Amino acid sequence: MQGASLKAVDGIKGVIRDFLRKALESEAADAVLVPVRTPAKDSYAWILTNDPALLDEAGPLAPTMPVQGAKALKSLTRKGQGTARVIAVMRPCEVRAAVELSKLNQVHLDNIILLSYDCIGAVPLQDYVGEPAGSEERFDSMLEARKTEESAVKPVCGICVDFSLVDSDIHLGLIGLAGESALLIPNSEKGGALLEAMGIACEEDISGWMQAVSGLKAEREDKRSKALAETGASLQGFDGLHAAFADCVGCHNCQSACPICYCRQCYFDSEVARRDPAALLDTAIARGGIAFPGDRVMFHTGRMAHMSLSCVSCGQCSDACPVSIPVADIFSYMADLTQATFEYAAGRDDGEPLPLRQYREDEVEKVHEIVKGAEEEEVAHE
Amino acid sequence: MKAKIGIYVCECGPNIGETIDIPRVLETIPALEGYEDVELVPKSFGLLCSPAGKEYLAKEITDNGFTHLVVAACSPRDHNSTFIGVCKEAGLNPYLYKIINIREHCGWIIHDKEAATDKAIQYIRSGISRVLYQSELFERQLEITPDVLVIGGGIAGMEAALSLASHDRKVYLAEKTGELGGKAARFASLLPRQGRGADVIREKIKAVEENEHIRVHLNTELESSIGFLGNFEVVLAGNGDDEKTDLKVGAIIIATGYRMSDPGSFTGYEYADTDEVYSSLEIERMNGGEGIALRSGAKPASVALIHCVGRQEKGYCSRICCNYMMKIAGYFKKQSGATKVTEFFFDMCLPHKADQEFFDHSVGLGIDFKRVKEIGLSGTSVEFAETGGGKQKMDFDMVVLASAMEPSEDTEALAGLLEIDLDERGFFKEAHQTTDPVATSIDGIFVVGASQGPRGVSDSMLLAQATAGRIRCQLKPGGKIVPEVKVSEIMEAYCTGCRTCLEVCGYGAIYFDDQKGISIVNEAVCRGCGNCFGSCPSGALRTKHFTNKQLYREVTEALK
Amino acid sequence: MSHHESVVVVGAGLAGMKASLMLAHAGKKVHLVETLPIIGGATIKNEESFPNLECSTCLVAPIQQEVLQSPDIETMTLSAVEKIEGDKGNFTVTVRKAARYVKIADCIGCGMCYEPCPVSVANEWEENLGERKAIYVPCAGSLPNVPAVDKEHCLKLSGKQECNACVEACMFGAVDLDDKDETVNIEAGAVIVATGSGMFDASSLPNLGYGKFPGVYTPFEFERLFASNGPTLGEITIRDTGKVPAKIAIIHCVGRKEQGYCSGVCCMYSFKFAHFLKKKLPEASVYNLHSDICVPDKSYQKFFDGVKGTHTEMLYNSSMEDLKVSSNGAGLKVVYLDEAGAEREIDVDMVILSVAMVPDEGALGLAEALGIERDARGFFKVLDEGIVSVESSREGIFIAGTAEGPKDSQSSVIQAEAAVGQVLAFLESCRPEAAEALAEDLKA
Repeated sequence: MQGASLKAVDGIKGVIRDFLRKALESEAADAVLVPVRTPAKDSYAWILTNDPALLDEAGPLAPTMPVQGAKALKSLTRKGQGTARVIAVMRPCEVRAAVELSKLNQVHLDNIILLSYDCIGAVPLQDYVGEPAGSEERFDSMLEARKTEESAVKPVCGICVDFSLVDSDIHLGLIGLAGESALLIPNSEKGGALLEAMGIACEEDISGWMQAVSGLKAEREDKRSKALAETGASLQGFDGLHAAFADCVGCHNCQSACPICYCRQCYFDSEVARRDPAALLDTAIARGGIAFPGDRVMFHTGRMAHMSLSCVSCGQCSDACPVSIPVADIFSYMADLTQATFEYAAGRDDGEPLPLRQYREDEVEKVHEIVKGAEEEEVAHE
Repeated sequence: MKAKIGIYVCECGPNIGETIDIPRVLETIPALEGYEDVELVPKSFGLLCSPAGKEYLAKEITDNGFTHLVVAACSPRDHNSTFIGVCKEAGLNPYLYKIINIREHCGWIIHDKEAATDKAIQYIRSGISRVLYQSELFERQLEITPDVLVIGGGIAGMEAALSLASHDRKVYLAEKTGELGGKAARFASLLPRQGRGADVIREKIKAVEENEHIRVHLNTELESSIGFLGNFEVVLAGNGDDEKTDLKVGAIIIATGYRMSDPGSFTGYEYADTDEVYSSLEIERMNGGEGIALRSGAKPASVALIHCVGRQEKGYCSRICCNYMMKIAGYFKKQSGATKVTEFFFDMCLPHKADQEFFDHSVGLGIDFKRVKEIGLSGTSVEFAETGGGKQKMDFDMVVLASAMEPSEDTEALAGLLEIDLDERGFFKEAHQTTDPVATSIDGIFVVGASQGPRGVSDSMLLAQATAGRIRCQLKPGGKIVPEVKVSEIMEAYCTGCRTCLEVCGYGAIYFDDQKGISIVNEAVCRGCGNCFGSCPSGALRTKHFTNKQLYREVTEALK
Repeated sequence: MSHHESVVVVGAGLAGMKASLMLAHAGKKVHLVETLPIIGGATIKNEESFPNLECSTCLVAPIQQEVLQSPDIETMTLSAVEKIEGDKGNFTVTVRKAARYVKIADCIGCGMCYEPCPVSVANEWEENLGERKAIYVPCAGSLPNVPAVDKEHCLKLSGKQECNACVEACMFGAVDLDDKDETVNIEAGAVIVATGSGMFDASSLPNLGYGKFPGVYTPFEFERLFASNGPTLGEITIRDTGKVPAKIAIIHCVGRKEQGYCSGVCCMYSFKFAHFLKKKLPEASVYNLHSDICVPDKSYQKFFDGVKGTHTEMLYNSSMEDLKVSSNGAGLKVVYLDEAGAEREIDVDMVILSVAMVPDEGALGLAEALGIERDARGFFKVLDEGIVSVESSREGIFIAGTAEGPKDSQSSVIQAEAAVGQVLAFLESCRPEAAEALAEDLKA
C-alpha cells in the first residue's frame, strides 16, 4: 500500500478543504458532505454542498459530533444511491456505522466516497456547547500534537481501537507524521480512481505511519480491555444492571442519537410495549412495587440485544443522555462481547455479512461452549 | 360479544383421572382472577378422543355457543388433529381452540398428585389466556395450473417430461443447446450393464419430439420466474435471438446436469494438449465416431485408466466413475482384444447390486486392476505405488482420466434466479437429504439428475420419475392447493426495508417492494416458520397464530 | 370405490410410508400392509441416521403419525399378503390379518397392561438384547402406540393356563383375547412392494465368531445397544459381562463375497458407529477393518473425512477369508492380513460385523403370492434393470426401496416417489375413459 504526501497549507483542516475544493473543481466529485460550523459558532452541522466557496466554513475535522455522520448519510441516501458522486468526510466510527447501515439497506454507498482520517477523538457535546471557543482551542492543540488528551474527549474515544484506517475509500493518515504533513491513502478501487482523476499520484511509502498507528493501537487495546472489564464488573447480575440505569429518565435520547437504531418506530415507544393497568398492578403486587417510567432496564437491554452486534462505540448515546449515564461504556462492553462471539466486528468490512443473517453449522456448539464457560466461571466465582 | 370459553378436561382413564385432581381443577377455573369479563365453563369427560367423546364435545360447543375452546388432555401430537376436526364439525374456527398437554407434562411426570394438579391448573390458565388473544384464520383454496417447465433437455429432463406429459398436463422443455439428449447422447453404451446403448437416448428424443403434449424450446434459457407451487410465471428467452416466451406453469424441474471437471487442473495430472491424455467424454466421442485412436491415427496398444481424479480436491466421490471406467475399458477391449488395459483405482466403488457382476465381467476381459495408494502422471508415463508395495513406473500409449463430476456452469446463476439453495459443493440442495431428496427449498421447484449430485443415467432417470410422482400428487389437473394459514405478515408502518427477512427466509416467500421501500410476504409461499419474525430488527413482522401478544399472554400467565 | 382409486402398499418402512402418504395426497385410498405390530421399518431402529446424524425418530415419527392419522390410509398391522387375483388395474388382494387382541380404537397406549403380564420373553425387535411381555409394544415410542398380544407365549392363548391379567388391567376394555385372525379381500388397481431387506446371517461365517463370543455384534444389535430407547437405555455394554468396551473393531464387507455384491451403505454406517462410539466412549479405541471404501453420495466423503483418523483408525484388511475372530481370554483377538498380505493382530473387547443387506426372509413367499419374479440375488426384479424401472415383472405391481436391492434411505425414498408416479400414470391408463380414448386414437 502506498500513499500521497500532502503538505499543509493552512493547518490540517486546510489540507482537507483544499482537497475537497480540488475534487469539486476537477469534477472528480459532484458534491461533498462535510461538517460545517454553525453561524453562531457553537456547534457543527452536516452540509451537502457543491459550492467550493462554502467550504471555507467547513470543519472537516470537527471537534465534536452533534449528529453521527452515518445518520447524515442515511438522510441523503435512504431512498437510493442517486446519481451524484459525493465525498463524505467522516470519522472512522462514522464510516463504520455507515458500513453497518449499508448492510441494512439504510444507506447506499455505491456513489459515496468515504473519506476517513486518523481521529484523535471527539469532545463531549455538552462540554463543547458549554465552552465552544475553549474547546476549539484545546482540540486544535491536540490536533497539532496529533495526540489524544483523554480528559478532553469522550471516554469511548480514549479507549477507541478503530481510530485509524477503516473500510473507507480514502484515508488521511496523520498519526506519527512530522509537522503539518499528512498522507492521502487510497483504500478502495473507488478511492483510487478518484485520486487518479484528480491527478494525485500515490507513490509514497507509508510504513512509518502504519507503524505509529499499530503502536498506538496496541496501547489502546490494552487500555480498552481493562476499562471495559471494569465496566463489566460493575454490571454483574440484575442488581448491577439496575444500579447502572437507576437514574434513567426514559427519554430514549440514546436511542434517537444512535446511528444504528434505525427502526421507524422503536418497539419500546410503540403501543405493543404499553402494559395495561391491571398487569402493572399485578407486577407491583408480586414484586412489592415498581418504578415509573417502567421498563428502564428492559429498554436498555432490549436495545442492546437489537443493536449491539452493529454497535461502533461512537459514544453518541452518552452524549445524548441528560443524566450522564455512561451508556456508551456499557454498550461498548456488551458489543465487544457479542461481536467476539460471532467473530464479527461492526463496520470492519462491507463484505462481511451480518451474523444474524447467517447460519453456521458450528454455531450451536459454540453457544454451548459459551454457556458452559459462563457456568464454570460462575462456579469458580462461588 | 362476551367471550365464552369452554374448558374440557379429558380424564384419559387413569392417566389424568388418577394423577390429577380434576374436581379441584374444575373448581379453580371459574374463580380465576382477571377473567371477570369472560365466561369460563369448565367440564370434564371420560375419554374425549373416543367417538362418544368427540360427539359430546361437538354438541357442547354448539349448545353452549362457545367463542373459544381449551382442551386439557394429552400431547398435541396424539390428538390435536382430532379436536381440530371436532371444532370444524361444530362450526368453531379451529384457530380459536387450544390443546393443553396435562398428561405427558403433568400427570405422567409428577408423582405428587397435588403438585401435578397445581401445574395442570397453571398450564390451563396459560391456555385460557392465550386462546383469548387468538384470532380466527381461514383456509383459502388456490387455483393451479398443472403444466410443468423442465429446464434441461438431457436424459433426466426428457424422462421427467415424458413421465408427466398427458392430455391434461402440458410440459415445456427448455434446452440451452440446439439439440436434445445431453451428454449421454454420445455414449455408446449405458451403465450399469452394457446391454443397451445410446439407442435408448435416441428413442427418448424421438418420443419427446413426437409427444404432442411436450413443447420443446431449443436454444432457450430461463430468464425470470416468480410465483409459487401451482402458479409460477416464467419467461423463457432464446439465447440466439430476442424471442421471449411467457408461460404459466405449476412446477419447475431443474435438469441442468453436470459437467466433467478439467482433469488437467488437478495436482499430479497436469498434461499438455499434445499428450496422449484424454478425459472419459473424449473417449466416448472417439468411440462413437471413427474409433479410439492416438493423435497419429494409430490405435493404442496400451492404455492406463486412472480413477478418482480430483476426488480429494472436490471432497466427494462421483459415484459412477468406477463403473464407467470399466465400461470404457470394455470399449478398448472390444476395439482390439490385444489392447493392454490397466485400471488404477484407490477404492472400487460398486454401490449397485449389479455392479460387482460387471466388475467380475471386466476382470474376465483381461483388464488389469491395480489398487494404488498414490499416483502421478508425467505425459503418458504413470508413476504409482500399489497398496502394500513400493513405487513403480509404467509407460502407456494412452491415458484416460476419470475426473470428478461437478455442477454444470449455469448452476449458480439458475439458483440465484430461482432463489433456491446450493449445497457446499455447488450442486442444488435438496429440501431434505433423506426424506425429501428431489424437492428444493421452494415448494414447486424440483431438481433431478446430476444437477442434484453426481449420478449416472439410470439414477438420473429415476430421480426424474420421482419428481413426476411428486408433481402428480401435488398438482392434479383441475385440483386446488391450500396454502399454509399460519403465515407471516408485515406491518408496513414498522418496516424499515433493511431486508434482513429476505435473507433469512428459506422459502423465498418475502420480496422487496421498491415503490414502498418495504418487504412483502407472499402468503401463498410462506410456511410460517417464524424465521423472519424472530430476526426482524424492527419488530415489523408477525407470524399469525404466534404473535407476540399471544405468546406473551401465554407465558406471563404460566409464570404468574 | 372403483379399483383404480385404490392401491395396496406392502411394507410400512420409510419407502412404503412415503408412497402411502403421496398416494393419499393424490386422492387414492391406500391399504398399507405391514407384518409387524408397528410401522416405521428399519429406520426407527437407529438412533441417528447418516450422514447428518439427525435423530431418526424425529425424522420418521411425523411421517408415521401422518400415516396413522390419514383418513385415506388404512394401516393393517400384523398383516401379510396371501394371494392376488385378477388383472392389472383390477386386482383382488387377499390379506391375512393376524389378531392383535387389542382394539386399536379403544387403546390409549397407557401401558398399564404390560406390568401384570406374567410372561417374559426375548424381544426380537430389540435383536433379543432385551425382554418383553406377552402383551407388548416393541420399544418405547412405537407407533401405533398400541400393544399386541403374542399368542405363542400368552398363557391363555397358548392354552397353558387361564390368565386374564392384561384384560383386567385395562381401564378401557381394549384388550380382547377373543379377537380372531381374519382374511380380507381388497380391490385395488395397483400394488407397491416395499418390504425392505434383511441382514446377512453372520453366523454362517464361523471365523467371525458371531453367536460364539458375546462381544461380537451385528449392526442392528449395535444400533439397539446405542439407542436411548433400547434395552440398555443407550449404555454400550457387552452382553453377558456388562463390561464397557475399551477397544472396538468394526469389520466391513461381511458377506459381500458370499452375496456377490457391495451393499453400498455399510461403509457409511460403520463410520457412523465410529462416531457413536467416540461420542459415548471418548477414551475408546475404534478400528475400521475395511477393503474398498464405498461412499457414493455427494455428502458422504465429508462424513468419512470427519471420522477418519480422529474417531477411528483405518486398517486395511486384504482378505475376509483369512480374517479370524477368536478369544484371547479376557476379550477378543482379531487376526487379519494387511495391505501387504502380512498377518496382523489386534486385541479388542467388541467386534461389530458390518454385514451385507440381503433379501427379506419373506421375499420368496411374497414373490409367489404376488406372482412376481426375483433376480438372481433374491431381490425383487424390476423390468429392464440396466436402465431404470420400478415396475415388477407383473403389470400393475411396482417395487420400491431395499426390496429391490441394497440402497440408502435417500435412494429408497426416491424409488418410492418414482413408484408412486408410475402407479398414478398406470391407474390413469386403466380408466375406462382412457381405454376409450386410446381406441379412438387407434381408429383415427
